[in-house]
Amino acid sequence: MAAKYAALTAFLLFAIVPLYWILVTSLKAPDALYAVPLQYWPRSASFENYRQLFEFADFGRYFRNSLGVTIFAAAGAMIVSLLAGYALSRWHAIKTRGRLLLALYFTQMVPPFILMIPLFTTLTRLGLTDKLWVLTVVYVATVVAFDTIMAKSFFDRVPSSLDDAAAIDGCTRMQLLTRVLLPVMLPGLAAIFSFSFVNVWNELFLAVILISTGDKMTVPPALNSFISKAGISWGVMSAGIIVALLPTMAVFAVGQRYIVSGLTQGSVKG
Amino acid sequence: MRTRRSHRLLPLLIPAALVLVLLIYYPILRGLALAFQRYDMFDLSDTGFAGFDNVRAVLYDPFVDFGRVLLNTFFWVGASLVAQFTLGFVLALLMRERFPGRGVYAGLVFYTWALSGFAIGLVWAWLFNGQFGLINDLLVRSGLSETHIGFLARPRTAMFAVIVTNVWYGIPFFGIMLLAALQSVPKELYESARIDGAGYAMQLFRVTIPYIAPTIVSTTLLRTIWIMNFPDVIYAMTGGGPANGTNILATQMITTVFKQYDYGKGAAIGLIILSILLLYAVFHLRVSAKTDEVI
Repeated sequence: MAAKYAALTAFLLFAIVPLYWILVTSLKAPDALYAVPLQYWPRSASFENYRQLFEFADFGRYFRNSLGVTIFAAAGAMIVSLLAGYALSRWHAIKTRGRLLLALYFTQMVPPFILMIPLFTTLTRLGLTDKLWVLTVVYVATVVAFDTIMAKSFFDRVPSSLDDAAAIDGCTRMQLLTRVLLPVMLPGLAAIFSFSFVNVWNELFLAVILISTGDKMTVPPALNSFISKAGISWGVMSAGIIVALLPTMAVFAVGQRYIVSGLTQGSVKG
Repeated sequence: MRTRRSHRLLPLLIPAALVLVLLIYYPILRGLALAFQRYDMFDLSDTGFAGFDNVRAVLYDPFVDFGRVLLNTFFWVGASLVAQFTLGFVLALLMRERFPGRGVYAGLVFYTWALSGFAIGLVWAWLFNGQFGLINDLLVRSGLSETHIGFLARPRTAMFAVIVTNVWYGIPFFGIMLLAALQSVPKELYESARIDGAGYAMQLFRVTIPYIAPTIVSTTLLRTIWIMNFPDVIYAMTGGGPANGTNILATQMITTVFKQYDYGKGAAIGLIILSILLLYAVFHLRVSAKTDEVI
């Protein structure tokens, strides 16, 4: 029993110490940052790094950009995947359904970089780069396959007799979806939204390729831009990392139960 | 009647089909075609068919030893996967029985799942920092090391560092999935095993693992694909260096696309990754089907 709790404690420390260390670093005054021996517990908290982050690095703007893109992409992907997931769940022709599902799974195996290059060249030719709404739509596409797989498996658990009952009551298909199925699907919705939110918020490379103007940057490219040839200013970087991690941690804290059920429904994201 | 009902569902698929075809499937096909085309952004005068020139350019790159990159890739995927799986499984076993505060505990050990791989790479680059890193400080203070180690400055220690980081990131995935699977094992199976005199190890290998085998098969397959396509941590910590010590196929592709602007060659690397993954997926599913028959 003691060994078990020791092991549980070891896992806990392993999981939280790195985050604690970044938090402590972000709260150190510039002169304490590179003071040896290291201070494990800062003698006084300084918000200088955060001040610099928001005043000079304009991090608030990137944060708002990311938040807008992520919320719209997650909501858009949720709507699109609910429709498709419902259709796939109730589809009777088993062969076609299997092929469609396979096509969805296949997208998860392709290295994202294969599609990034043509996406970039095509969107450039169409004059569609450097637009946050285009980035949002692209993000919808990147998560919609997995969202649909997840939505399908959530719908699979709702008996289709519910559909039939609603049809007898004279519901249209849309009414059925919005009035009957959505309330039962709330945990599924939470899972799908959280999953997309986390993936979109954390995405770096598409954001670097598709956005070129500085004030349209999202959070991950902004962190990337803190890496200069001269090295990294770790105080401001730590503050940036903490701010960048907060939204997905909040989503995870609130939606943990649903994320776990969503992941186990037919997981892909690691 | 039945097919007609399916046809009525067709319109619901249109939005998803539209975004997927335009923004995923079409770019994938174009990307695969690009692997056989000259497409150097510094010289776009000729973008004709190039046959296997791009693939050859990757295999015989004078500056990047392809064999080395391939070995790095396999080592990175293999070591990360084994450690993530083992630790995730142990954690799931530990969390299986209820204990006070298990919900909160789950949140605190699983939260890393939700973090950005790139940001995590930065966090650990700071932890492994040669001068001011916490890890070096702990090693020296505890007397385990006399001097500070430049973890990210040497190929071997750098590979060790990026794998530790990836393991830290990946434990929750296996923990979550395997814990859910463990909780579905019927209690009666253990009772009858105990009656037969099976000890803990025997129960683990004869009851638990066979029962959750399907989850093990699917999670390890998905995770392998995912780690292979996941350069974020390495990109943030070493950029594939030093001296290609942590350069895997995915980071090599980033360098080719973002620094050399040779899109044809970059696409060829993507094609190689995809071929390896398809072969692996077939092999993995075959082998697990065979072991299924044995059990």
